[in-house]
Amino acid sequence: MTNVNQVNAQKYSLAAQQLSKTVAVKIRYLQTLAQAVENKNDRLVYQLIDGQRYSEKVMQSKHSTADTKNESLVDDISDTISQYLSGNLLAYLHETYPFFYFEQVKKGLFQFYFGNWWDRKLFGSLDVLRVSFEFDKAEYEKLRRAFALDAENKRLNTDKIASLSDQADQLQALIDSQGQRDTEKEKVRLQLKKNAQEKVMPWEAAKLRDAKQQLVEHLSELTEQDEKAQTAYRLIKENEDQVLALSKEDTLIGYEKQSIIAKFGSFENFEARNKTLYRDYIADLIATKGRVNINE
Amino acid sequence: MSKDYRQPTEIFEPQKSQRQLRTIEDAATLSTSGRLITYNDQLKDSLKHGKIFTELFDSLIETNDPSELLSAAQKLVSYHLDTSFITFPQQYSRSDFYLIFLNRLLALHDKERVILQSSDRFHELYHEFPGINTLGYFIFQLETTAQKGAYYTEKNTGETLFYLSFDKHVLRFNSRALTELLLVKYTDDVTKETLRGFEEYLLDIGKFLKEDFGFDVDFTLLDPSNSAVYQVADSNLPRTILDKLFVETAQGGRILERGVNGEAVLKLDDDIVVKLFSQNVNEGASNGWSIKVSDPLHKESWFDVLLEYSFLRTWYLNNLESLEIKSDSLYFN
Repeated sequence: MTNVNQVNAQKYSLAAQQLSKTVAVKIRYLQTLAQAVENKNDRLVYQLIDGQRYSEKVMQSKHSTADTKNESLVDDISDTISQYLSGNLLAYLHETYPFFYFEQVKKGLFQFYFGNWWDRKLFGSLDVLRVSFEFDKAEYEKLRRAFALDAENKRLNTDKIASLSDQADQLQALIDSQGQRDTEKEKVRLQLKKNAQEKVMPWEAAKLRDAKQQLVEHLSELTEQDEKAQTAYRLIKENEDQVLALSKEDTLIGYEKQSIIAKFGSFENFEARNKTLYRDYIADLIATKGRVNINE
Repeated sequence: MSKDYRQPTEIFEPQKSQRQLRTIEDAATLSTSGRLITYNDQLKDSLKHGKIFTELFDSLIETNDPSELLSAAQKLVSYHLDTSFITFPQQYSRSDFYLIFLNRLLALHDKERVILQSSDRFHELYHEFPGINTLGYFIFQLETTAQKGAYYTEKNTGETLFYLSFDKHVLRFNSRALTELLLVKYTDDVTKETLRGFEEYLLDIGKFLKEDFGFDVDFTLLDPSNSAVYQVADSNLPRTILDKLFVETAQGGRILERGVNGEAVLKLDDDIVVKLFSQNVNEGASNGWSIKVSDPLHKESWFDVLLEYSFLRTWYLNNLESLEIKSDSLYFN
């Protein structure tokens, strides 16, 4: 009996010990996090909340020092952590990406616009915890293509605008040639009338029928063009609006390109910098002793 | 050129008419000597009336006191020199008095840039501005309603640049005519310096009327003050018009920026900033779209900017239907 009791007591105290230890580890994790926040040591916060990313990107080591179980302790307060970390991160991004203008959507969540010009585009959102941009795919692709088109000396919408302008010219020509068509129609009608009155030898009847058929076809062709001309004004106006929208987009992208070139020299450099953003930022935190904070 | 704008001589006046009526009624009952005395009295009155006119005229052309000048001009523009007893065949018109007044006022401030010419052929005075004198000349066109004012009018085009009323102490510029004349008609033939000079001349008129006599002046698009808000005609300015400005600004090598409150901001040379914004004042009542021009010296107006920057002028004129700066609708339609 006593043995059993003793065994049970031992087991019990072992379990208690283990639990205390486990809880203590968790407490230590949270305490370290709290301390890091108190010391404004953002670098350490980043390391604590995502050890795997930290070791992969910063230490560039394959062996993860991730403590995922403890990290999950703060999963439900990621917005609060994000809000805290955004302070220094946004200051850093303001210097490194001066053309991105950030706007808080809700706690810990930020989206950004490209540029401060008229009707600038919403270009993506910021993942504060991962220190990375999530670009709007469509806009990013347009920018990438615009850079690629540099080689051809073209802007993104050059071809579309050219084809719209051609259409507009054709429509205008259709409007301008109304008088000419009217004369032409009159001529065809007269000819038809003349043919109808003409008396021909039976063996020539087929030829006459053919001629008549041709004239009728020509007339309907002209009438068709008249109808098109009537809608041409509206189409030209629509066409103008489209060209304006495309020119506006080209102008916007032009400014975006200029901004990137001014800061990074090329689109490739820009993309490369985006890839190393996490590492660069942590390095900057170390170099500047946590930016705002000097008591690391 | 004709005398269209000269008011026909009026001999009918409310106070006088009473007495004239009485004279006619009484005439029948009067003795011959009575008639002679009455006739002589009327002549004396008429002469006195003419004398007063010459005194006012003296004042108009000679006084160095601005308030005397205004008072003389104000009286002269409604003075009926002729009576039923004496008429004066050689007279200046009311338009002429307005013109003389402006030259005298500007001269008192050493700012007389406009030349007062007299046409012997058409018996009228007119304003000629050096540099644009081959294109037209200016006179006053009297208001046809009972409001007692006059429109400063370019004679060839009929454009009325401003409305002036001594009685109401009001000066109103007409943005449409200013745009039409100075930014459209004259742009090819008149130098920018001359147009600037003409603008200064107009501004001086407003300035002195305001400072010397407390006139209520609406400069519209000429107003150089940074606090001036130029309201555009279309309160629901189509988005495409701003898009056009955005594209044309880029072609002009500049950027149309977005301000903190969503307004469109255009930075020009010499720290001149143009802002376009929709005023959504509380209670959701929209005052529509407006333009503001600011510069460190409070010197530049929307007009100056349009004159200086051809891409803005092109944009403004191409979309004038929506963008035209409002003038006082009481005087201009």
